[in-house]
Parts: sequence; C-alpha cells; structure tokens
Amino acid sequence: MDMAGWLPALAEWLPRQRWYHGQAAPASVEIVDQEIRGDRFPVLARLLVDADGAVYQVVIGVRGRDEHPEFLRGHDQAFVADVSTHQGDAITYDAVYDPELAMVILDWVAPHEHAERARVMGAEQSNSSLVYDERIILKLFRRVQAGHNPEVEVTQALAAQGFTAVAAPLATRRVRDYDVAILQPFLAGAAEGWALALTSLRDLFGMNDTASIPIISADAPPPPPDPAQAGGDFSGEAARLGAMTGGMHVALADAFGRQPADTKSWAQGIAAQLDVLETSDVDRPAAHAILDGLVDLSEAGSAIRVHGDYHLGQVLRTDAGWYVLDFEGEPARSLEERRRPTSPLKDVAGMLRSFHYAASVARTERDEYLLEDLANAWETRNRDAFLRGYIKAAGAGGILPPTPEGFELLLAAFELEKAVYELGYERAYRPDWEHIPLAALRRLT
Amino acid sequence: MSGEADHRWYQRAVFYEVLVRGFFDSNHDGTGDLRGITERLDHIQWLGADCLWLLPFYQSPLRDGGYDISDFFSILPEYGDLADVVELVEECHRRGLRIIADLVMNHTSDQHPWFQESRQDRTNPKADWYVWSDDDTRYPDARIIFVDTERSNWAWDPVRQQYYWHRFFSHQPDLNYDNPEVQQAMLDVVRFWLDLGLDGFRLDAVPYLYERDGTNGENLTETHDFLKRLRKEIDATHPGTVMLAEANQWPADVVDYYGDGDECHMCFHFPLMPRMFMAVRREQRYPITEILAQTPEIPDGCQWGIFLRNHDELTLEMVTDDERDYMYNEYAKDPRMKRNIGIGRRLAPLVDNNRAVAELLHALLFSLPGSPVLYYGDEIGMGDNIYLGDRDGVRTPMQWTPDRNAGFSKADFAQLYLPPLMDPVYGYQAVNVEAEQRDPGSFLHWMQRVLHVRRQHGDLLGTGTLEVLSAENPSVFAFLRQLGDRIMLCVNNLSRFAQPVELQLARLAGKVPMELFGRVPFPPIGELPYLLTLGGHGFYWFELVDLQGNP
Repeated sequence: MDMAGWLPALAEWLPRQRWYHGQAAPASVEIVDQEIRGDRFPVLARLLVDADGAVYQVVIGVRGRDEHPEFLRGHDQAFVADVSTHQGDAITYDAVYDPELAMVILDWVAPHEHAERARVMGAEQSNSSLVYDERIILKLFRRVQAGHNPEVEVTQALAAQGFTAVAAPLATRRVRDYDVAILQPFLAGAAEGWALALTSLRDLFGMNDTASIPIISADAPPPPPDPAQAGGDFSGEAARLGAMTGGMHVALADAFGRQPADTKSWAQGIAAQLDVLETSDVDRPAAHAILDGLVDLSEAGSAIRVHGDYHLGQVLRTDAGWYVLDFEGEPARSLEERRRPTSPLKDVAGMLRSFHYAASVARTERDEYLLEDLANAWETRNRDAFLRGYIKAAGAGGILPPTPEGFELLLAAFELEKAVYELGYERAYRPDWEHIPLAALRRLT
Repeated sequence: MSGEADHRWYQRAVFYEVLVRGFFDSNHDGTGDLRGITERLDHIQWLGADCLWLLPFYQSPLRDGGYDISDFFSILPEYGDLADVVELVEECHRRGLRIIADLVMNHTSDQHPWFQESRQDRTNPKADWYVWSDDDTRYPDARIIFVDTERSNWAWDPVRQQYYWHRFFSHQPDLNYDNPEVQQAMLDVVRFWLDLGLDGFRLDAVPYLYERDGTNGENLTETHDFLKRLRKEIDATHPGTVMLAEANQWPADVVDYYGDGDECHMCFHFPLMPRMFMAVRREQRYPITEILAQTPEIPDGCQWGIFLRNHDELTLEMVTDDERDYMYNEYAKDPRMKRNIGIGRRLAPLVDNNRAVAELLHALLFSLPGSPVLYYGDEIGMGDNIYLGDRDGVRTPMQWTPDRNAGFSKADFAQLYLPPLMDPVYGYQAVNVEAEQRDPGSFLHWMQRVLHVRRQHGDLLGTGTLEVLSAENPSVFAFLRQLGDRIMLCVNNLSRFAQPVELQLARLAGKVPMELFGRVPFPPIGELPYLLTLGGHGFYWFELVDLQGNP
C-alpha cells in the first residue's frame, strides 16, 4: 500500500482531529515509521508522522469503498480519503472506530489479551482510548515525543511503589524512541470527581427547595443552609481524596527522588506569568508580596515529580475509593518541563482551584447569584477537609514545608500561578468563565 | 415445583415482621394478641408477603420486649396460649403463608427457672447452665453491646455470691453452651416449636453463644459448630425449615454463619441498610456499591435477609466512625433518637415522609440480592413517637382505621399498651389501612403492586446474579440481575433531580427492555450506549426480552 501517497490527504485530515495541536494544516508531513497489519480488508496501517516537527501517531483502517461501515456513521471526522489499492477502490479512516481493527490494535499492544468487544471513548486532547469488554482500556498516544511518556513512566513507578490508587499498566508499547500505547485495567463503575462535586453542590443549592420550615413566618426567613448539614456533603470524599493525593506524592517522591526546593526559580516563573496580565486583573503589589515571601521561605519542603495537571476531572471515585488518572501533565508543555520536579503543592493548588471551579460552575448553572455565600461555604468546607486528609497522609513524607505558615504561603503562590494560567486560558477559549479565575485572583491578592 | 426447590422457599419469599403486641387486639384488653394476627391475615396475604416473622411471644417479664424469655414452652398470657399459636400456624399454612418466630438462643431472663435454680448454690443440677465467675475481669476483650445502660458484661448475684456473664442486659444471663445439657435443652425447645408447625426461626444474637479467653467472644468456632449441629437435626426431622441468623457483623464475617451451606439458611445483611439511606442522602451510588463490592458470595441454598427498618434501631455498629457521625447528622437531628449505637425511627419519618424516596428505597430493597423483610406499618407509611421510652417509639399500634384506637383495639384508650400515633402528619386519622385501601393512589396500593411484580420474578430476584453497571453519572445506580437466560435491568436515580444515564449494554444488543409495571417495550438495545432519563428519585425495572417481529 502506498502510504506515502496518503500524506496530502492526511495533511488535510489532521487539523480536524481534537488531538492535533497546530492551528492550521501542516506545511509538511513525513512518515517517521510505518507498518501494515493484515493482507485483506480491513487492513490496519500504523503510522508515525512528522507534521511540521510534531510527531503524531495515526492508525488508519482500510476497507473496500462499497462497504459503507456502520461504525463510521456519525463520525464524519474519522473519514480520511478515498484511495486506490491493489485490492481495489477503498476508503481510509481512523481505525479506532472499527471494532474489528480495535482487536488488531489490542493484539499489537498486548498479544496475550483477548476481548469480545471494543468501544471507543469520547475524544480526548492528546490520546484515543479504547475500552475492551468494560474490563481493560487501551490508550493510544496521539501526539508523541521522543523519550518516556510520563503516563507510562509514572504509573509504572507508582505501581512499583505499592501505590494502589492508580491503574497499573498491564502492557505498554514503544516504537523507536516513542511510547505509543498503554493498556490498563478499566475502572468499572467509576465516576469523575468533577461529577461527584457537582452532585454535592446541586444538592446543597437545592436544599432550600425541600427543607422543612418548622414555623412559617415571613419576618424570619429560614437560616441559610449549612453545607455540613446537607445530604450531599462532599467533605468525607474530599478528605479521602486528600489522603489519596498525599499518598501519591509520598510514593512519587520515593520513586523519583526528592530535590531541594528552588523557591527562587518558582517565584521567577510565576512572576513572568504575572507580567502578561492586564493591570486591572490583579493587585500586583499584593501578588509580588506573596512571591517575595516565597523567595524568603527557608524551608519549602522538597521538589518532587508531580502529577502536573491535577484537578477533579483527573480523579475517579470507584467502589475501592479514589483513583488518579492521566499523568501526562499539561499537554501544551514540553516533555522536559512536564518531568521537572517541583513542589507537590502545585498539584494541591490545582485540586483546590478545581473545587473553586466546581462551586462557581454549579452556582452559575442555577443562575442565582445569591448563592455565592453558600458556594463559598461549600468550597471552604471541602478545601479544609481535603487539606486535612492531605497533610495527614503526606505530612510525614518530608516533602512539605514544616510550618503551617510556610505551607500556606507556598500554597498561595501556586494557587496564584494556577489562577493566572486559567485566566489566560479562559480569555482564549471560554470568555464566559473568565470571572472564575478573576475572582480567585481577587481573593488571593 | 419439586420438593427440593420448595425447601428453598425462603430464597424467594418476602418476609413481614409482626409485633404480636402491636398488630391487632382480638379480646379488647388493650394489647395485641396471636388471635388478632389470625384475624388480620387477609391484610398480609393481600399485600403479597410470603412469610410472617413474629417477634417473641414467650413467657417473659418483658424487660426487653420479650427477648428476656422466662419459659421457652409457654406463651405470654396476654398474647394467648398454645392453641392460639396452633390456630395461627394452621391458618397461615391454609393460605399458603409461612410463619417463623424469634428465638433467643444466647440467654434467658433472670426470671427463668433455669437461672433461679442455677443461682441457688454452686452444686445444684443447673449450677453450670450459666456462666459464673468469682471475679468480673475475665474475657476483657468482649465489647459491651448496650453501652447506654451496661457498664460491664459481668453482674454480681448476691444469692450465689458470684458474678454471671451477660452480653446484653444484666437481667439476661447468658446460657453456658459448654454444658451439653444446655445444648440439648435448646435443641428440645427448637423441636417443640417445629412440631407445632413453625417454618423456622429468626435466631437472635447468635454470635455470642460461647466465651473463650483471649477472644472477643464473637463468631467463635464453637458457636458455628453448635449451629451446624442444630441445622443437621432440623434438616433430618423438619426439612424446609429456615434458620435466619441475626449476626450484626461485617458481611465478610457474617458469611461464616452460612458455613458450607450447612449452617444458617439466611443471615441479615446489616451494613446494606444504612448504606441505602446514605446513598439517597448523598445522591450518589458509592455507599451502596462499596458495600456490595465487599459482600462475598454465599453458598448455594443460602440467602441474605435485607431490610430498610425493623423493630430495632438502625444499626450503626457496622459503619465507620465518619459514617456514623454522618448518619447521626442526617437522620437523628434530635438527640433523643439515638439509642445504643443506632437510630430509632420508622421509615417514613426517616425520609422526611417523602413518598418518592420511600418508593425508591423499596424498589432497591425488592431488586437487590436477598429476601426483603418488611416491618409492620411501613406499608402504610406509619410514623413513630420518639417520646416513648427505649425502642417503643417504633412499636406503636398498627393503624387499621380512622376510628377509636386506630381500629387496633376496642379497649379503653388508657388501657392500650402504647398510645397510637395521633399527630396530624402520621396519626391514625391521616395514615391507616382502611383509608389507603380505598385510595388507589396510596402508598399501600403501590406496595401491593410492586410486591405483585416482584413475585412474578421471585426466582430471578431471589437467586439471580448481580452485576453493577458502570455509569458516568454518580447519581444513577444501575444493575443487571440474571438467572439462566432471564435478565432484569434495574436503574435507580438516587438524586431528587432528574438525571440522564448512558449504559454500556452493547453486548446485549437486540434485546428489548420491557418495563415491568406497564409491560411497555422500550427502544431496543443497540451498539450505541443506551440512553435513559429518570425523574427525581425515579426507577425502572426492565426485563430484557428478545426482539419480536412487527405484528
């Protein structure tokens, strides 16, 4: 099969994929690696292509043009092109949607595994996931980088440390110098932390709808609901989530080592991000006061390998408690940046910012701005619970600032950094949500 | 139905727990009686229960609701006599109902002649029938169960000048099962009641039969050995009898009471109950799915007994401290509701009289693995009276009619064993059997219909496998029950808000979900995730049937 002949079509197709990072069609596409599996339709063509310097993994299915496969219905973006092959006219498409080829992909990654059926999970930003028999999940990395993919590296290391709240790899696959796939147990029955937090908030915001009012009096409105009294109280979950996070950091420190904290470069990094903000966004003197405090902090704990993109969407509640997913870090950053040790409080800040997002989003859903106090009460309660669980689990690991003041300061600095990053992101992609990081910046400075 | 299968009736049965004192007063003395139950069997039969469970009716000083038995072979006179038991049993059997009774194996009343004899001196023939000691320090690892009232498991007897062992109240001395005569005496008690026609026993407080140094005195091998011996004897003489154990333990420990299918037929699943309430309060499924994931398989022929409420408190012994605090906060805002380590409330007040929640909880109870146990009065949504002492708050008279004394008794009001509820929300003028029977939209009629549907699928729901389905929406709890090629899909919305769910059912593609209350076919399952929407606290029961051609 003439895969080189497909490249012009692939150059057109790539920008339509969610995992493609460029803004426009690449000027040049070259094949880095290629393999054909199967000699009759459907055929799997596995490619690594270099598009303007970024390497992508592409899995292409090839079937006869008259087959009109059912699985492509509703997935227009999966279709690549009509092609001619020595077996006749054919179509090419993203092979992850083809249940038959999904088995070929599984066999390629893990020849010892067998499955009856496969389904593709919703689109993700840097990879594609196939679930087999609701039992195992195969993640194909789409944008690959030479070296070790953090997901493979970190989940293996955590599992080796005996850390159980992670789906330990069952198989991984490397092609040349790239990690291209990982197979893990599928966490059946799991729900995202984000969904649980919103469930709790919706319950809280709905409390007034159903609360019994012992004495009806227009003069004395019922007392405001208390998150501690709400049926959907999240604080138990938040505390357990904090404990899991603390355990994760200790295991990461044990696996990858503890480096000295580098508060100066952390402060410089945050200051550089602050510089690009508009004057009205943030109280600069107050922000710089935090950063000055950070530089002066003599005992700031350790720098360790961290999750890097930690929020409520990266944790799953299962029947066996909380699990953590997706150690790839922020996909926009370089591999080197993502693997660089930093303070574990960067992850903690990410999760706490996520609590604020959940409270803000749930409040906006109801479009009742009177709920602001209640949303804040929810956030405070669950933030405290999370930190309680976290410090209990991570406190003895030698990675945290030893004093409460140091802990608070370091946490504030990383929350500031996160909020600044969020503001840039929201301005670019979701202006409606701009008010969330802005509120955080006002609160922090 | 083959004889073998019929011996396993308890796997399909719905149990109905009756307080003899509180059900119906046939002789106008203010206290319910056995004949009263016989007269009101129509109600239980119409409702669709399969087996009555009678709370203790034995001779007793009634210092612990009759669990303090002073003669195993005679009836408390206010309840009737042996002839009344025989009549009740026969009438049940004539209607196809079964009947079991409470039996306390662990202890007797201190008024029991056995104890009165045993305490006289250290050499009498029954001197060794109870557990005596010169000091009160032995078995220090045994916890105190009734922490509200008892300070020690030992009590001083001034007559014998020794301490005796009691795991419950100090007026309930523990029998000494190390004595073969005690074992034989209790086997004789069991034989006596089975000969009279009872279909089995709910065995009260079984984990505590033996005491051993260095242990906590619970779940000892010797206890299991005795239960196995009991099982063997009743299987030989009265096959089809059920032994239902009350062992308030974690499921992983409770399963030991099934032995290898050669010990108790049934055990209560205690932790499931508070978890069901918690799941509805939190509007998420994990409280339930966690405990189901920790519930081991049970041997063939065994069954869980599951319940929402019973005559005792909501048992919190089995939840962690965090969860216990949580349950207190949620369900027992009034400190008076705390009893021992539990909460004494009936179902309706427990869920703020929310009918949708009561229906959802029953739908769960009737579709999860196990045989459901109902508590008298919960089928009409009766309330409780927390101002009555001890556990009497949930033992008020059954509310039959809006007439005097709730139609429970023609005695003078002042003569009633407890006053019926008279408050405007739960009182008998608002909540009673007669009114709810007249009202086709009542909770009682809903219960009758749902039990009717359950009976049609009794084999599957009683003995089928359970598979919890994944759902990204944490408020939705969906599961499959399967027996052979018959499959039920149950989907529950634990939230009070409407919720969507997408279920991964592609492996069942082609099957049609047939809704079981209206026999309405839903769109067939295909390769795509199966989308359902549920109203607040809504639930579906589907049978998955094969696609039929168009007519």
